Amino acid sequence: MKRMPALKANRWDGAVAVLVVVLAVVCGVLIWGRTANAGELTVVVTADGQEVERVALDAFPDTPRAYSGNGYTLQVSTETDGKRGICVSVSDCPTQDCVHTGTITRAGQSIVCLPARISITLEGETASGDGPDLVIG
Amino acid sequence: MKMKTKQLTLCAVLTAMALALSYVENFFPLSLAIPVPGIKLGLANIVTLFALYALGAGPAMMILIARCFLGAVFAGNMNALIFSVLGGVTAMLVMILLSQIRKLSVYGVSIGGAAAHNCGQVAAAVLTLGNTAPLYYLPILLGVSLFTGALTGLITACLFRALAHTHLMRGE
Repeated sequence: MKRMPALKANRWDGAVAVLVVVLAVVCGVLIWGRTANAGELTVVVTADGQEVERVALDAFPDTPRAYSGNGYTLQVSTETDGKRGICVSVSDCPTQDCVHTGTITRAGQSIVCLPARISITLEGETASGDGPDLVIG
Repeated sequence: MKMKTKQLTLCAVLTAMALALSYVENFFPLSLAIPVPGIKLGLANIVTLFALYALGAGPAMMILIARCFLGAVFAGNMNALIFSVLGGVTAMLVMILLSQIRKLSVYGVSIGGAAAHNCGQVAAAVLTLGNTAPLYYLPILLGVSLFTGALTGLITACLFRALAHTHLMRGE
């Protein structure tokens, strides 16, 4: 036996917990906060690190579209119950996490299927400054 | 030589226990309640944490690597190896550092390890998928690690209390 650890939680453990909460909040602000929800949403599908689809959410077909990766196939379809979004309706992957994620509707949200190595992300329009600042006349 | 054989045997038993716990936690699919890819209770971390205090950092790291490799072989899924190794090693390094702070109990060390494990797994997912989409789940995973880390810390504390008066803890 190298060393018997302290077995009762104390304020120092609380400090570690607070640190993890702060880290989660900072990550949340940095990752979720940067995705403005203005304008048209774009569905971006990648498989094995390669972008295989980039289409406007409104233009995505109503019939399910199949994407394959790493020997698995995902059926991706749109949901119009309430706000328009996208989901994995059927998958033959072993974990089914992609199906359980449900419908994503906001910019920055992702559905990730690790066994199939497929990710489906909703991208929003960013204020990149490419467009005109002012239109006259 | 006697101690070496005893320590080797203990390492083998702990590796087997970690593998068994990895299998058992499949019966508690946390992802049904929180649909996040790769989310787990992390029960095998009980063994890692126990080994860290009972045997030291070196043997604990060996048990971890053996568990990750054998787990991938038995599951027939070598793709999962990068996730378990990156998550496990990150967690181990953080727990080694935190265990040096004598004022921290197993709870603090366990929570820090669980958070680091999730960070490592998200990094593995980013590397595997080739994009940053998995980062979306990092804040949720960090929040969940508070509960999973506290749970594994609680079980580890119970384990140490139960074994406190055995010859194993007295180092005989």
